[in-house]
Amino acid sequence: MSKLQSQKDYEKLRGQLEKERDPERLLVSLCAGSGCGAYGTQEVREALEQEISKNGLKGKVEVKVTGCHGFCEQGPIMVIHPEGIFYPKVKPKDIPEIVSETIVNQKVIKDKLYKDPVSKKRISKEEDVPFYSRQHRIVLGNNGIIDPSKIDDYIAVDGYSALIKVLFSMSPEEVIAAVKTSGLRGRGGGGFPTGIKWETCRKVHGDTRYVMCNADEGDPGAYMDRSVLEGNPHSVLEGMIIGAYAIGSHHGFIYVRNEYPLAVKNIGIAIHQAEEYGLLGENILGSGFDFAVKISRGGGAFICGESTALMRSLEGKIGRPRAKYIHTVEKGYRDNPSTLNNVETWANVPVIINKGAEWYASLGTEKSKGTKVFSLVGKVRNTGLVEVPMGTPLRTIIYDIGGGIPKKRKFKAVQTGGPSGGCIPEDLLDMPVDYQSLAEVGSMMGSGGMIVMDQDTCMVDLARFFLEFLQEESCGQCIPCREGIKRLLEVLTDICAGNGKDGDIELLEELSGTVSKLSLCALGGTAPNPVMSTIRYFRKEYEAHIYDKKCPAGVCKELFHYEIDEEKCNGCHICFLRCPQEAISGEKKGPHTIDQEKCIKCSICYESCKLDAIAIK
Amino acid sequence: MVTLTLNGKQVQAEEGSTILQVAESNNIRIPTICNHKALEPAGLCRLCTVEVFDGRRTRFVTSCNYPVWEGMEVTTDSEEVIRHRKMIVELLLARCPNNDFVKNLAAEFGVEAPRFKLEDDDCILCGLCVRVCERMGIRAIDFSGRGTEMEVAAPFKVFTDACAACGACESLCPTGHIKLSEITDKEVHRIPSEFNEGLIGRKPIYIPYPQAIPNIPAIDRSMCAHFINDGCKICADLCPTGAINHDQQDEEVEIDVGAIVLATGFKSFDPSRYDTYHYADHPNVVTSMEFERILSASGPWGGHLIRPSDEREPKKIAWLQCVGSRDINPCDNGYCSGVCCMYAIKEAVIAKEHSKDPLDCAIFFMDMRTYGKEFEQYYNRAKEEGVRFVRCRVHSIDPVPESDNLQLRYVTEDGRVEKDEFDLVVLSVGLEHSAGIEELAERLGIELDHYKFARTGSFAPVNTSSPGIYACGALQGPKDVPYSVMEASAAAGAAASRLAGARHSLVQEKVFPEERDISEEPTRIGVFVCNCGINIGGVVRVPEVAEYAKTLPNVVYVQENLFSCSQDAIEQLVGVIKEQDLNRVVVASCSPRTHEPLFQETLRNSGLNKYLFEQANIRDQCSWVHANDPDAATVKAKDLVRMAVSRALLNEPLSMPSAPVTPVALVVGGGVAGMVCCLNLAEQGFKVHIIEEKEHLGGHALKLNKTWKGESIPEFVSKLIDDVTAHENVEVHLSAKVKEVSGFVGNFKTSIASNGGGDVLEVEHGAAILATGAHSIKPDEYLYGKNDRVFRWHELDKAWETDLVKNAGSAVFIQCVGSREPERPHCSKICCTFSVQKAVELKERNPDMDVYILYRDMRTYGEREDLYKKARALGVIFIRYDLENKPVVKETKGGALEVTVIDHVLGRPVTLRPDFITLATAIYTRGIEELAQLFKVPISQDNFFLEAHMKLRPVDFSTDGVFVCGLAHYPKPIDESIAQAQAAAARAATVLSQKYVEVEPIVSVVDQEKCIGCGLCEASCPFAAIRLVKVEGTGYRAENISAVCKGCGICAAGCPEQAIDMQHFRDQQIFAAIQAGGARG
Repeated sequence: MSKLQSQKDYEKLRGQLEKERDPERLLVSLCAGSGCGAYGTQEVREALEQEISKNGLKGKVEVKVTGCHGFCEQGPIMVIHPEGIFYPKVKPKDIPEIVSETIVNQKVIKDKLYKDPVSKKRISKEEDVPFYSRQHRIVLGNNGIIDPSKIDDYIAVDGYSALIKVLFSMSPEEVIAAVKTSGLRGRGGGGFPTGIKWETCRKVHGDTRYVMCNADEGDPGAYMDRSVLEGNPHSVLEGMIIGAYAIGSHHGFIYVRNEYPLAVKNIGIAIHQAEEYGLLGENILGSGFDFAVKISRGGGAFICGESTALMRSLEGKIGRPRAKYIHTVEKGYRDNPSTLNNVETWANVPVIINKGAEWYASLGTEKSKGTKVFSLVGKVRNTGLVEVPMGTPLRTIIYDIGGGIPKKRKFKAVQTGGPSGGCIPEDLLDMPVDYQSLAEVGSMMGSGGMIVMDQDTCMVDLARFFLEFLQEESCGQCIPCREGIKRLLEVLTDICAGNGKDGDIELLEELSGTVSKLSLCALGGTAPNPVMSTIRYFRKEYEAHIYDKKCPAGVCKELFHYEIDEEKCNGCHICFLRCPQEAISGEKKGPHTIDQEKCIKCSICYESCKLDAIAIK
Repeated sequence: MVTLTLNGKQVQAEEGSTILQVAESNNIRIPTICNHKALEPAGLCRLCTVEVFDGRRTRFVTSCNYPVWEGMEVTTDSEEVIRHRKMIVELLLARCPNNDFVKNLAAEFGVEAPRFKLEDDDCILCGLCVRVCERMGIRAIDFSGRGTEMEVAAPFKVFTDACAACGACESLCPTGHIKLSEITDKEVHRIPSEFNEGLIGRKPIYIPYPQAIPNIPAIDRSMCAHFINDGCKICADLCPTGAINHDQQDEEVEIDVGAIVLATGFKSFDPSRYDTYHYADHPNVVTSMEFERILSASGPWGGHLIRPSDEREPKKIAWLQCVGSRDINPCDNGYCSGVCCMYAIKEAVIAKEHSKDPLDCAIFFMDMRTYGKEFEQYYNRAKEEGVRFVRCRVHSIDPVPESDNLQLRYVTEDGRVEKDEFDLVVLSVGLEHSAGIEELAERLGIELDHYKFARTGSFAPVNTSSPGIYACGALQGPKDVPYSVMEASAAAGAAASRLAGARHSLVQEKVFPEERDISEEPTRIGVFVCNCGINIGGVVRVPEVAEYAKTLPNVVYVQENLFSCSQDAIEQLVGVIKEQDLNRVVVASCSPRTHEPLFQETLRNSGLNKYLFEQANIRDQCSWVHANDPDAATVKAKDLVRMAVSRALLNEPLSMPSAPVTPVALVVGGGVAGMVCCLNLAEQGFKVHIIEEKEHLGGHALKLNKTWKGESIPEFVSKLIDDVTAHENVEVHLSAKVKEVSGFVGNFKTSIASNGGGDVLEVEHGAAILATGAHSIKPDEYLYGKNDRVFRWHELDKAWETDLVKNAGSAVFIQCVGSREPERPHCSKICCTFSVQKAVELKERNPDMDVYILYRDMRTYGEREDLYKKARALGVIFIRYDLENKPVVKETKGGALEVTVIDHVLGRPVTLRPDFITLATAIYTRGIEELAQLFKVPISQDNFFLEAHMKLRPVDFSTDGVFVCGLAHYPKPIDESIAQAQAAAARAATVLSQKYVEVEPIVSVVDQEKCIGCGLCEASCPFAAIRLVKVEGTGYRAENISAVCKGCGICAAGCPEQAIDMQHFRDQQIFAAIQAGGARG
């Protein structure tokens, strides 16, 4: 690998890579994202490579281990090119058949294809799977086709061409103008217009400016940034170099949590390779522009995702926020002008440059442009990463892409924006997902977490759960956040335990007001959202807990019990057999009853009853 | 500057300031816990949250760190803000329901029972401790843990060296949570206060002592956190005038001088090396210097007499004399420190006064050396007041186990071993050569003696061995305050005579501000009530008096001072007069005799006429005399203040005429003191008249041979006489007497009668020095005058070469003949040294001679102690007697002299048969009353001239322009006489060198409308200062000659028509005061 000295060198390399690439070549793409990895990608890969060499196909078939394809529910995912045959949930035992049938004989194994739960049809190509077909994957798109540890893979799909364009044909002002025109807003949660941020930072007096990538994604259940960093690290790096050029910075940091080892590894490899190619470092491609990037590994504190805390952590101090009355673009890392964007934001930048700001701006709504990656989890069939244009209705995401609620349960609410986001009820499902709309209904975009809840979710308990998380993650510096969240949790815990009392809802509202308005940073400022939004949309549920001492969802153990509806029970005896406490009595084909003294409300009977004869009372 | 709206009002603010700062400067209070002037705002407590409206929306921001910007609208007390603040306080109260600080905060905000579960914490995590630690440059503590687990701790909760135990965290903690002992195992490093002898600590920034000049704090670099850790600098931030500069460096300044005066003082002896005294390891063994601080109102405990170990009031205190003095083992200080006996007595007396309960004071001593003016009387009084004097040198002090007390074991005079237990033991430590003197001496090339005191001679007592370099004070040997002050003047005088030619060449004239015309102003009186440390405040309830003063008519300002005379108080007074537009000032403090001029000058400095000042003496005439009755003293103090205020109301500005000074001095007395004084003034360029009663100059010195140091007196005296006689500026008047004196400072007229009164010469002079000397009594005991082998002390010198003295086999000296006796209680000071000196000389001439000195206390003070030691080494026998058993001198039938004395060790009579006896006869003055009257100067009880202030003005009279020196002031050896003469000359020169003197306008004024021209005033005026003049159309009317008027008031008192008043003491002023005095309400 020799250093590229000029634009010409780069183009020569790219031409070479394109030439090497045979579009008809057999290529097995195996998802090794964190989801698929957990399902066993490594075993599948070993089996596959074994089988390939057993069949003497080595050299004829390329196995590409890629980053996350997004459809994690169906992992490990295998896609066989050039046809793009999509095999979900591949197991090592499936490999011999796949090799002999699909690779050798070019036949689709129908039984192994994805079966659409709605239409019940088998779908052979990845792009036809409804989960994918309804998406617009400009950030995640390349995840499935490149090996993140190979810079050539990235260059082969036009990687770094945006950088070339910027370095050799655009002034920094033009780059900023393009980003402004694109309407790109921060994907980390704040939604601040990226172009304006860059422009402000560029204009601040000072010799040293910093660009930073926030990869401290800490929302429970959210892994968009992780997947991008793991699957396509060069896109982030390219975005940062472009940003640095625009701002006039020569030093960058990637602040990534150490719990993302693969992300740390892959971005490290990417930096190394980019440096070797001369795409990073001094005098990039002979342009005269210098930029170096360092990785800083975070210790996993949620608060370190907050910009000022992150910068303090970078400085080697304890990651605690400070008041942002002076913005970090003016005084950030070591009091120097600093631009911090998250992974997804940076990854959008090369796309904007390559495809044009106007093209980008044509996606999305009036004030929210482009696409957004969501991590769709919870009580939804197709969990995974979903990238859709801004403004896509919630219903489309949850039902059309997500496949709706499993087990015939009823949708109850969707929580967006991470732990301090709000819950959106069913009657708002048709709202478009963009920054404004989410804020209007008492939630937020956040970094793109989306948790779907069904009828079995207790909204009080849910609020309590998030507050528990936030209490642990509050840095503890300021009184409203530290003491306030603690007390919100205290009241919620009381309510869930059946000790709620008259006035608790009002106290929660009053305290939430103080916490949200007086806290030092956004963590405290948004922490009451789960409480406020659940009270807003599910006040009755609170009242049931407090006044009726009932948990309608059957979650708060002190506030419900199971009863067997004798009319519905056919005496199948399954509940009797499964009850770990031997609390259920009854003869086969006869009515069953639950001994409330013995019942521990583990819900096994409730879950196992096919006749809905067990009711929450 | 930016303009913003603050609570609806437009205000201007400095750019970059925070909302909180702007609010404070607009007198709007915003509550905060975590904000501190010294620290960067952190915005953690959020209590200072306010609403900011930017034209579009309202935001809640913390005012402590939110910068102001143009056009912003701030509301600091909206309903919502207050609601949120209350919630914060409620949260804190739930966390710390038992903490007083939080409880008070809750009460302030009207928060009662929190709606949350109560915890029991006492840390509110305001972070002040953490931030101040960082600011100190230390960072030994920080927040540790996250969220609800957060706490303040050292890293990993391990004690490290990082903590400097500076205590900043503890001092800033509002709730009392932070305890240094939980952060470090280091002790707080106390910086011992030098001024308070290390009994308490001081700060790294400190004013060395309350009356220090300049009264400006200094930073102790060796202790300042900034210089140690590169942190802090809080002082610079807080100083409102930006006066602190940490980069300042020491400067070397070079100045050209014509003379150098060394006054480097002494260091007090450190008794740590006496291990048997346990000074170093027992808190209740203190040095006398430490005890001075304990007694002092500005001392560590405000003058409350307590002992260090447990801060309890002691019941029994012992003083051990001669610690570090008169001791060659182990300290090598063979000399007597000269001052310790007196200060020990003073401390004992004051300690008894300070103690509420009866206090047992015992002084353990060897010889009681109270040789100074009126010292013996003080000693006698102390004995009367119950101070115990035990003649014994105590060899060890033993701590009493399981108690903080100390036991002394000692041997009584009759040989019994006694034990006595005390609460506190004071070591009367001696005076040692000043620190660093050896290096200084080497650099200046001056000689030191074997005790490392500056070497000086008896005849030039302030001259060092290097010409032009003078030494005064304890640097040249231990001495007390009056003698040091005197020597200081002497050194100044010696330097002045050397530099006479350069006089006035570097003078900066003092200019007072222009006097304010108050004639149209309403009367505005300021009253300043002084505590005088505890001199007044310890008895009179000063705050009550001050409160009372506020109720008096026309009083617009009242202030209480610790010391009204301290420099800072004086400077402040100038400011207050201006700020409050005062036009009368009353200071209720001490005596106008000592302090009126100071306060009057202060008035002048603030543009007021000095006669608008009035002083109420609530110390000498109140707290001192009513020490045992605080209630009555307080009432009386109020009376005195009320009287002064009433009088002040009528005070009027008086103009002060000035009169030219006659640069001529008159010296009365032609002895050594008079001649030295005369010569010094003449050398300074002033004309001097010297008057001697006898027909020759020289005085008693003519009778003496040698000084105690062995210098020849006749040689010195004859040269002195020659010099005086020959000096062109000197006019010698022999066989002359002062006949009449008139005039005033700068303008005296004296008639000198010489040749038995035949010739009368009137001389004009600006100053007079009384140096009339003293005499030795002629006793009518010990066979004096009856047996010619009984000499007075100076007669021995005369008989020195006679066969009787030369061939004598035995000699007896009897000390204290006529001194220290009820009819003449003073100590004659010189006799002990003289007798010992002569005994040594006798022994040196004839070692086989038996020489006895019968004494009461051997008073060879200072380095004279060497002589005493030498005498003993030579075999001189010292036998102590006491007043009850005086020696008996008889003549045997064979004509031999026989002396019987009770030996104090044996307790039995001892009989001696000397060939001659020398009597140390007392020194007294004769006929000074006449002179005193002429010059209007006072005489003390023991019939010596009484100076203006025994300690601080030892050669001045209270009558301006008249000075005293020599034995007429008090008995003293020749070196001290010379020093005093030089001092008097120096003091006189301060008058003579002025071109003008201001004349006190306290003179009589005649209301010619009332005057009937009876002439009674003219007839009764002793100064011819009032006369009748013819007024056209009305006949004769009286007229005052103010330059001559002494303000005695005889004319005013005698005027039948009450047409004469004394300015500043007008009848109506006095009546007003009297009426006010009787009008106790």
